[in-house]
Amino acid sequence: MVNIIINEWKILLRNRAIMYITTVFVLSLIAIVWIGIFQNNNQKDIQLSAQKHIRNQWDNLKPMNPHRAAHYGSYVFKPVSVLNSLDDGISGITGNVLKLEGHIQNEIVYSEASQSISISKFGKLKSSLVLQYVIPLFLIFLAFSSISSEKQTGRLKLLIFQGISLFKLIFSKSISIWLYGVFLLFITITIQALFSTIDSETIQRLIFIFISYSCYYFIISCLTTYFSSAFKNNTSALSSILAIWILWTIFLPKIWGNAVEKIYPLPSRQNFKSIMKEDRAKGIDGHNPSDQRREQLKNKYLVEYNVDSLKQLPINFDGIVMQADEEYGNLVWDKHFGNNYSIFQKQKRLYQISGLLNPFSSLQNLSMGFCGNDMIHHLDFLKKAEEYRRYLVKSLNDKHAFGGSKTGNWKWSADNTFFRSVEKFEYKTPTIGDQIGHYVIDIFFLLFWVMITTLLIRLYINKNILL
Amino acid sequence: MISVKNITKTFKNFEALKNLSIEVVEGEIYGLLGSNGAGKSTTINILLGFLDPDIGEAFINGINANSETHKARKNIGYIPENVNLYPYLTGIENLDYFCKLAGKNYNLEKLKEILIECGLDLIDLDKKVNTYSKGMRQKVGIAIALAKEASVYLLDEPASGLDPLASTELSSILKKLSNGGATILMASHDIFRVRETCNRIGILKNGVLVKEMDTASVTTKELESIYIEYMKD
Repeated sequence: MVNIIINEWKILLRNRAIMYITTVFVLSLIAIVWIGIFQNNNQKDIQLSAQKHIRNQWDNLKPMNPHRAAHYGSYVFKPVSVLNSLDDGISGITGNVLKLEGHIQNEIVYSEASQSISISKFGKLKSSLVLQYVIPLFLIFLAFSSISSEKQTGRLKLLIFQGISLFKLIFSKSISIWLYGVFLLFITITIQALFSTIDSETIQRLIFIFISYSCYYFIISCLTTYFSSAFKNNTSALSSILAIWILWTIFLPKIWGNAVEKIYPLPSRQNFKSIMKEDRAKGIDGHNPSDQRREQLKNKYLVEYNVDSLKQLPINFDGIVMQADEEYGNLVWDKHFGNNYSIFQKQKRLYQISGLLNPFSSLQNLSMGFCGNDMIHHLDFLKKAEEYRRYLVKSLNDKHAFGGSKTGNWKWSADNTFFRSVEKFEYKTPTIGDQIGHYVIDIFFLLFWVMITTLLIRLYINKNILL
Repeated sequence: MISVKNITKTFKNFEALKNLSIEVVEGEIYGLLGSNGAGKSTTINILLGFLDPDIGEAFINGINANSETHKARKNIGYIPENVNLYPYLTGIENLDYFCKLAGKNYNLEKLKEILIECGLDLIDLDKKVNTYSKGMRQKVGIAIALAKEASVYLLDEPASGLDPLASTELSSILKKLSNGGATILMASHDIFRVRETCNRIGILKNGVLVKEMDTASVTTKELESIYIEYMKD
């Protein structure tokens, strides 16, 4: 097997056209990754400075009523993943700035796509584009004639006649083509690792990315050599594998994606907002109006402090009401966002099942996921940002209620020391170790396809192809 | 030794071989003559283990060529009509690669020796095969078969497209091999070359062995007449 692989590489290295293309590939990949890292660092610097500026503003707030500060709010920024330059996944369209304030859960805004000029709205040139589309296509062009040309020239008989088994020969040729893809992948990953600031977590992610793409290249190489050996001529082999490639990369993801959305539909943005508003107004079970809730709360505090009126309370009841309202609003949000979250999960799981027919979708899921730019990572950020919003608003409401003011005193101000004492938002991307459970299906299907394509060569290639 | 016993082979509705039996003993060169579609290549392919006969058996040194293909092939050196080598590799690299596949790890000197023995000039050994003529490629093909150190050689139209000098060189190599004890079966259209090279000749027509004779018993002229006579209807 080693001899065949060495021989294939020798031939590859002596083919000038392939050497030129390889040089172009390598230079392009280096440029794309380097530019990506440069853009990433730029974006990170801008974000850091904006975040610093926002926090500075907060730290220098003049004494003011905490509720006013709750409306003043704060901004949090979704951190740019170190591996964004490799695969930006859904980050380009989901937005990265979120305003946090009292009473309301805002939507994340300022996606890259929304700010781009029209031509770049179709997406930036990321290494994932080359790794997912261009390299596999090139592997197909390298492999489609690997066996059929041996057959057509009659060399296959001569090779088999030397005593090597047909499986060994075809499998070795697949491996040598696969190694070419792995070589380009290795360069990309190495450049990424060399030029960006990476920690052990990023290294782990890069290893997972390397393994995932390697598996996909293996599938493509084996399947193409299988077609090359199963068909009588090069044209049939090439058109068949190209048809599969188009099906995998263009049609199936769209068809399956649309089907998933039909099976598990998300409420429209308008619908989501109006239901939220309705629930918030009516009460979570639909028949508990807000004024009744306020009355119940008032009675509870009057009894607790043993007083007859709100004015006699040692605390500011307005702060209590606002926090209660906030918590009620949180319940409404949890109910509806939770529902959306569960739909997202179902959608994702069903989409992952498409890996049974389409290993490309498994690769895409894994690539986005390991680069920290998929829906799972995005939802995690939204969840943590919402948790922080709740902490922030509760801190302000508690200050309003228990900071020393009395009910109805809206002119009371908290001093700057208090605002400074409110912790800042610090988001840590979840580790891949914690998140790996989300990708088990994709990993399984990718390995399943590795096995299937190997078996295809092992079991379905027989001596009939020699004639 | 090559032994073809009562072989019949049918492709869909076409009967390519009809109860064919041939025996080629050690040290003998057997020439299988016949027109296109006579069944020469089918016979070779059955002996190579690429095709299974419908009826009958084929043996290489007593090993069944179809049920013990891998074992039988170890004894065979095969030279096809067109030896297509790797064009980006040199003659010596091609030979080295094919030898390694056969489990033979020869040093450079030995590889050179084999190629020169097969008639290739020293100056051509390190040239890429895409600069070779058909005759030169054929010589590398013979070298590949020789390097395998086989005891049985199967040749399918080996001299087709070769110039007279290269053809004569091929004949002398084959004779040398048979003198060393090798068993050779050569399928060809070339009456003259078969007469020159082989000890025994069989004429195949529509899958039937219609005539067998010793080369010593006929002149080229007579052989030509016999062949044409059989091919007439």
